[in-house]
Amino acid sequence: MKKDDQKNFVIFAVLAALILFGWPQIAHWFFPQQQPAPVRIEGGKTKPVANPGADPTADSPKALRDRQLVIAETPRVAIETPKLRGSINLKGARFDDLVLVQYAETVAKNSPPIRLLSPSGAKGNYFAEFGWQGAGVQAPGPDTIWQASGTKLTPTTPVTLSAQSATGQVFRIELSVDANYMFNVRQTVANLGTSPVSVTPYALVSRAEKSTDVDQWAAHVGPIAVAQGGANYVNYKDVDAGPQGFSTTGGWVGYTDHYWLTAVVPDQRMPVQLQQRQTPTKSYQADYQLASPLSVAPGKKITYSSHFFAGAKEVKLLEDYQDKLGIAKFDRAIDWGWFGIIEQPIFYYLDWLFRMVGNFGVAIILLTITIRGLLFPIAQRQFASMAKMRAVQPKMKALQERHKDDKTRQQQEIMKLYKEEKVNPLAGCLPILLQIPIMFALYKVLLLTIEMRHQPFVAWIRDLSAPDPLLVLNLFGLLNFTPPSFLAIGVVPILLGISMFFQFKLNPAPMDDMQKQIFSIMPWMLMFLMAPFAVGLQVYWITSNVLTMAQQWLLYQQHPALKEPVKKEAKAK
Amino acid sequence: MREVGAVIARLLILIARFWQLVPSRILPPSCRYAPSCSAYAIEALRRYGALKGSWLALRRILRCHPWGGHGYDPVP
Repeated sequence: MKKDDQKNFVIFAVLAALILFGWPQIAHWFFPQQQPAPVRIEGGKTKPVANPGADPTADSPKALRDRQLVIAETPRVAIETPKLRGSINLKGARFDDLVLVQYAETVAKNSPPIRLLSPSGAKGNYFAEFGWQGAGVQAPGPDTIWQASGTKLTPTTPVTLSAQSATGQVFRIELSVDANYMFNVRQTVANLGTSPVSVTPYALVSRAEKSTDVDQWAAHVGPIAVAQGGANYVNYKDVDAGPQGFSTTGGWVGYTDHYWLTAVVPDQRMPVQLQQRQTPTKSYQADYQLASPLSVAPGKKITYSSHFFAGAKEVKLLEDYQDKLGIAKFDRAIDWGWFGIIEQPIFYYLDWLFRMVGNFGVAIILLTITIRGLLFPIAQRQFASMAKMRAVQPKMKALQERHKDDKTRQQQEIMKLYKEEKVNPLAGCLPILLQIPIMFALYKVLLLTIEMRHQPFVAWIRDLSAPDPLLVLNLFGLLNFTPPSFLAIGVVPILLGISMFFQFKLNPAPMDDMQKQIFSIMPWMLMFLMAPFAVGLQVYWITSNVLTMAQQWLLYQQHPALKEPVKKEAKAK
Repeated sequence: MREVGAVIARLLILIARFWQLVPSRILPPSCRYAPSCSAYAIEALRRYGALKGSWLALRRILRCHPWGGHGYDPVP
């Protein structure tokens, strides 16, 4: 080893060690595992509203009780659609009880469905409310008991809630729901009094606890607000520091989990003020309020129409709502990031494959084959030139030896050698750099799509979106202990390491000793690094490695002369 | 302003250095030029600063593809 190389090797070794042992920390930051829900202590009384005139804030419960008890306490209108079950609380006209019947909490057969909304007073309370701030009028509040026109809200039977104020105004909320996750909320004020009143419609989503999903570097979880044509992925930390307000015409505000979303969507043509904040009782609230009040003359009425989304972030559905209801950037509920333009086509293709073959793992394999197929011409050129380089390597080494003290001269000589031997120059840096966004997009698609959630592959893999559960260190679950996170290696990651090892083996022999060492450690290091990822991603990597090997094999078939040195070397080892 | 530029240049050099030390070592050799794109970028950033340096580096990367040139191509 030359002196320069020795220095490089030390730097590399330090970096490698840092990555290997620092990985649990890094992984925790970039790809966090689910954490147990934080325990919240509910004390104190109903919190005072800071500025009741201009500031709708949901109340908070006195103590947490059983959800079923809380639900049974107040009159309700049932919600029943193909995808939703739950009820609307007639006390305060709140959406505070909703489950997503098509999504189960875990892969277990008897797992309960995902519960999205929960009433105030129960654990994990999470609800939405639509109302008015009034001037010269007593608007209905959280304790108002509304009258309902029906007992069940379904896609075919809308329900109208009504309430009357002491000052002579009639308030109506017409609710309808589609077959998916979108409610339409039409709020009407009819002024039967003798003097004009002014009302400001508002809506809020109140959430006592943060999501149990953890905010990730590549997939936002938490408050979200779309304003002025851009999505703001707000962190809880920022909200803790102070309210985040946005003035906009067209937009929406709410909370996103990894796979679920609640959002209140104001009338897209009228200016509103959006806010993400923490209430004095330490729960979180996303709300909007019309920028200027609507005035209602005596004998007149005024209607304000808005929407409420509560459900799963199914890509197609979000885009439909964006197009058909004209909701600004509704597809940004999914944190596509910079490469959305590549990710969306990859997603649609993957989804199509999945519907064709019915197994998500097989769909991932087919997707990988397609992408590698498209990149094949580049790879072919690269491999062809690499194979030729391999043939002239002895000469190259001699040149390097001869001019080892003069790097510029050495490079010039190598270039001359290329010309003499008619070696094709390599494919270049650009093709490799161009592949990075494609690979990253693929990674994000697999990370973000709800379609992969709880999808089985083969044998023991029942959820492609989770790490391999079959750990080697506790003898595949026979021993009753959980290995530390950086030793939690499943069977799939080991297959990944093996496939990578053989793939590296097929690469041209490295030019110097240091590289040789790196190539021999690398597959096993990557095995550790990639173990915490979703099995779906590992299936992709393994497929990709196998395809690389197939590509090599094909190339050696095409250039039989090149086969010889490989065989000789293999024997020498 | 000048200092901000220097800090950005240093940062970009660090990125190029990291590229050389980790990903580039794993990937098959690929650069058509000498010096390689990353070495070129580092030298350009050192000599011309963040703005012009990145511009030169970007142009170099953009011509480093199968239909581009090759051979000895030092920073001007």
